Amino acid sequence: MVLQTALLIGLVIFSVLAILLKDLLKSAISLAAASLLLGIIFFRMNAPYAGVFEISVVAGLITVLFILTIALTGGGHDVRESKLVNWVFPLVFVAFIVIDALVMKSLLGKVPALPSGTEAGVFGDVLWKGRTLDLVGQIAVILAGVFAVLALFRKRDKHD
Amino acid sequence: MTNTWYLYLFFAAALVFAGLLGLLGKRSLIKLFIAIEVIAKGISLLLLSTGFAKASILTAQALVITFIVIEVSLVATALALIINIYRQTKSLDIRDLAKLKG
Repeated sequence: MVLQTALLIGLVIFSVLAILLKDLLKSAISLAAASLLLGIIFFRMNAPYAGVFEISVVAGLITVLFILTIALTGGGHDVRESKLVNWVFPLVFVAFIVIDALVMKSLLGKVPALPSGTEAGVFGDVLWKGRTLDLVGQIAVILAGVFAVLALFRKRDKHD
Repeated sequence: MTNTWYLYLFFAAALVFAGLLGLLGKRSLIKLFIAIEVIAKGISLLLLSTGFAKASILTAQALVITFIVIEVSLVATALALIINIYRQTKSLDIRDLAKLKG
């Protein structure tokens, strides 16, 4: 439990760093580190498939996409961020953490547990047989993403 | 619900709030998108921890995998949009998009 809490604290720290750091490249790498920690948390919660997806897709592919975009757009040095935000963000965030802790402490044991059905079978059965409609939706979303990227990067002809 | 679930709920809420603060305060388009990613991390942590607490981890994993696939599709499309916006305006500043001129 101590290790899990340490991983969760690390996840929040890297996520906050990803938002606060000025350099976009360092932000993207912080986000990848946060994803890596989240993947390890998933593994420790007996969810190896979700952990593998989190580490390979989110920490790997999405980071590559972010770094590629940062390289293509020149690092975004022209954007002048508000200096006030750098002061206000940590203060408001710490205040929220305190309120969050107090709320969770007061809620402890008060949320009624709904009856949970026992799960049978293996992950493959649940994914392919139990969530068939989701998979159709996933295929539609992937195709929509592919067509959107193709449309956005199409070559302009002479008439444009 | 178990006490562990409240711990996960606490951290998931912290992640979502950090992302919302980033969305409110930052001006770079890529930073805004990183904030959205942080919110997505909080949501996937909440989904899986609820499945873990309710002893239905397999369904939660299937949902998280669906969520991750949708997230990748969203990231690819949004980053392609950001690159196109940069080509048009030569800037990643969100305030430049307020000028609705051709």
